Amino acid sequence: MKLLRKPALREFLRILIAVSAALLLGFFITLLVSKQPLEAYRAFLLGPLSRFNRFGDWIEESITLTLVGLAVALVFKSKQFSLGAEGQILLGALVSGSIALFVPLPGYLRVPLALVAAMGVGFLWGYLPGYLKAHLNANEIVSTLMLNTIALKLYDYFLIFHIKPPNAGYNASATFTKDGILPSFVPALPFLADLRARFMSQTNITVMLYLTILAVLVAYYLMYRTPFGYELRMIGANIKFARYGGINVKQAIILAFAVSGVFAGLAGAHLAMGIHTKLIQNISLGIGFEGIVVALMARNNPLFVPLSALAYGYLRAGADIMERSSDVSREMVLVIQALIILLVTAEQVLPVIQQRVAARREAQPATSLAEGGH
Amino acid sequence: MAVLVEMDQIIKIYPNGVVANDGVTFSVERGEIHALVGENGAGKTTLMKILYGEERPTSGVIRVNGRAVHFHSPQDAIQLGIGMVHQNFMQIPSLTVAENVVLGKEPTRRGLLDRKAAIQITEELSRQYGLKVDPEATIESVNVGMRQRVEILKILYRGAEILILDEPTAVLTPQETMELFKSIRTLVKQGKTVIFITHKLREVKEISDRVTVMRGGKVMGTLPTHEATREGLARMMVGRDVFLEVSKPLRARGEKVLEVRDLTYVSETGRQVLRGVSFSVYAGEILGVAGVEGNGQTELVEVLTGLRPATGGEARVLGTPILNRSPRAVRLAGVAHIPEDRLTNGLALTATINENLIVDRYFRPPFRRGWFIDNKEVRQHGQQLIERFDIRTPGGEVPVASLSGGNMQKVILAREFSSQPQLLIAAQPTRGVDVGATEFIREQLVEQRNRGTAVLLVSADLAEVMSLSDRLVVMYEGQITGVFPEAAKATEEEIGYYMLGVKRQSPEEMEAYL
Repeated sequence: MKLLRKPALREFLRILIAVSAALLLGFFITLLVSKQPLEAYRAFLLGPLSRFNRFGDWIEESITLTLVGLAVALVFKSKQFSLGAEGQILLGALVSGSIALFVPLPGYLRVPLALVAAMGVGFLWGYLPGYLKAHLNANEIVSTLMLNTIALKLYDYFLIFHIKPPNAGYNASATFTKDGILPSFVPALPFLADLRARFMSQTNITVMLYLTILAVLVAYYLMYRTPFGYELRMIGANIKFARYGGINVKQAIILAFAVSGVFAGLAGAHLAMGIHTKLIQNISLGIGFEGIVVALMARNNPLFVPLSALAYGYLRAGADIMERSSDVSREMVLVIQALIILLVTAEQVLPVIQQRVAARREAQPATSLAEGGH
Repeated sequence: MAVLVEMDQIIKIYPNGVVANDGVTFSVERGEIHALVGENGAGKTTLMKILYGEERPTSGVIRVNGRAVHFHSPQDAIQLGIGMVHQNFMQIPSLTVAENVVLGKEPTRRGLLDRKAAIQITEELSRQYGLKVDPEATIESVNVGMRQRVEILKILYRGAEILILDEPTAVLTPQETMELFKSIRTLVKQGKTVIFITHKLREVKEISDRVTVMRGGKVMGTLPTHEATREGLARMMVGRDVFLEVSKPLRARGEKVLEVRDLTYVSETGRQVLRGVSFSVYAGEILGVAGVEGNGQTELVEVLTGLRPATGGEARVLGTPILNRSPRAVRLAGVAHIPEDRLTNGLALTATINENLIVDRYFRPPFRRGWFIDNKEVRQHGQQLIERFDIRTPGGEVPVASLSGGNMQKVILAREFSSQPQLLIAAQPTRGVDVGATEFIREQLVEQRNRGTAVLLVSADLAEVMSLSDRLVVMYEGQITGVFPEAAKATEEEIGYYMLGVKRQSPEEMEAYL
């Protein structure tokens, strides 16, 4: 019982209970809709681990989700509900992709330049709604959604009219050359050559893996160890208190939006230069919004974001595989997936159970008293 | 007099193990005004919620008119004529006063609410019990005093014979309190019984027939009010001697710290709230600002602390201009601020105690080192202040929300007092605070003054400003209308005339003392 008072452990237990309940529920639904429920559910649960390339897909996806999750967590921590990650991702992809395609620098300069540029454009695309919110009190939900649309149209315009090779049959850029692609996460060392070849042939896990780990630490330190992070959290906890205490609320809000954009921009670069190695239409496919789920599951704590991204990425990968390899329809798969997320993100799961138990315990002596009185 | 309600050996243990009532025996006689006093957390409200059917006792018996009763909900209690007015009113802001009074038991005509009847009912009750309300005004447009009267009318309409009032004066100005007391006397004359929860001993003496003191979930005693003294009641409540009057050594005032000249403020809605306010506060003195609430005191404090822009005028702290500067700039000029609305402005409830203690200093060494905040320093700093200000907590890393009300207050005091201010602005510092904490806050204010801090004290509690202040000014309709160079020599009655706008001094008369 004493251990239960530790918040971290309680949190873990809470998630464990929620996940188990959700998986059980998911299985019941599968039972109802599938003729071979066991196989279908196994594909869902174990699919992402069943083949090497599937494992790779899962990790790649989780990297993107982690970066987006960090972006969302940072801005949500200040209780600013920016939904602008999607637009920042798109512009991050566009800018990094353009540099990867057109800047004639050697890879060791071109790739870092592209990454920095992606982060920069993310910063600017976050600064904008931040400024609108702080100085003009423009609702950030509306402004970020509008900016997402603008970003999407800009992306399509540049892709179709300027980047796409004139004779190409579909709306995509040329594939990036080696100098514009993120290198594999396995270093090019002689004794690792086999491993490197194996990973490179089947997966796109790149050095972004290390950068993402670094990003998690940076986000964590930023949030919990710097003056900016303190301002961010106090604004989130009580904005009136922050103002009263002397925090420059406007500046901190703008920075929260902008810094959040840096991480989303990096996610865009990962999509362009890591996963697809070219610019395609619909490159983000709404992953900016899935980042919200990731951040919520992690309770906006950067250290939990990668775990939450891995879990979410696993669900997504498993769902895809179940859809492809069983008779369960995509719709049902999405229902199961949504149920799990619902249960995990439900703020009150464990507290409610605790209250119920306590209420029952309390009710018993009271009723016996009532009986005694009559 | 006949015993109307008896609560016998009531025990209430909450699921989290907190013992709120520990064998409480309490009785009320028909037609009396019974004050129930105790510090925050003494178990008064829990006991009354049990009587009102909102909480169930873990054990114990309640008898009404000698018969044992069991309440499952407030409906059961109201049927036996027991009604309660909570601290937070349960009203619908967009409906009218009359609609709120009859809500839940509406007079109907052809199945629809009969507005005329509702208004008539409200007017009749209002007249009968001397509770003045405007039946056709919407709740959101009327002041707190009237909203409280509406709440009382609501339970009277439901046939309450026993009225439980939970700290009814906490939200009222002195004038509204007087009016409420008049109504309570009218109610009792017409045969009602009133239980009055409070921790203001002055009110106990003024209004009640008998008083029951609670401490730590137990009853310390019940006695006729005329036999009780304020000192004696305070000792019963706190368990030790309490000094209600702070003794304050004479101290020559020092240099001028705050100088305010012709300060004006026009609200967003265009109302002229401050009309040319001028005064100074000197090192080592407490300048009290008295006045009925709503005469510009709140805005004065917020303008001076950078939370609102001034429309005109000047204010300097030791020569540094502070008007229309950011709250940070004002703080850096040496101003500390105990805000009026402490839970909204003074604290971030979900943040930890340590975090709440550094909001005005996290960006400076020793807390900030390079790019980072030195968390070890933050913890040590928190620990020191927790000890120095006796904040009751398992540690500095728990959220402020988990503290009791009094300890939350101490977190604010710890931060503001420890910033070594040149000027301390305290707005209603003891409002809603129990006796023990009030004593502590008053001592600390005087302590700051003795150390040479200039203190600007704004309080609606006239007795408090009079006893703490060296010098006192009265604000009326956005202006200073009177100044009393020696607060101790003024009388309450005299100051009251200025507060109500009956008397005012001419600018020439005041000039020498501002």
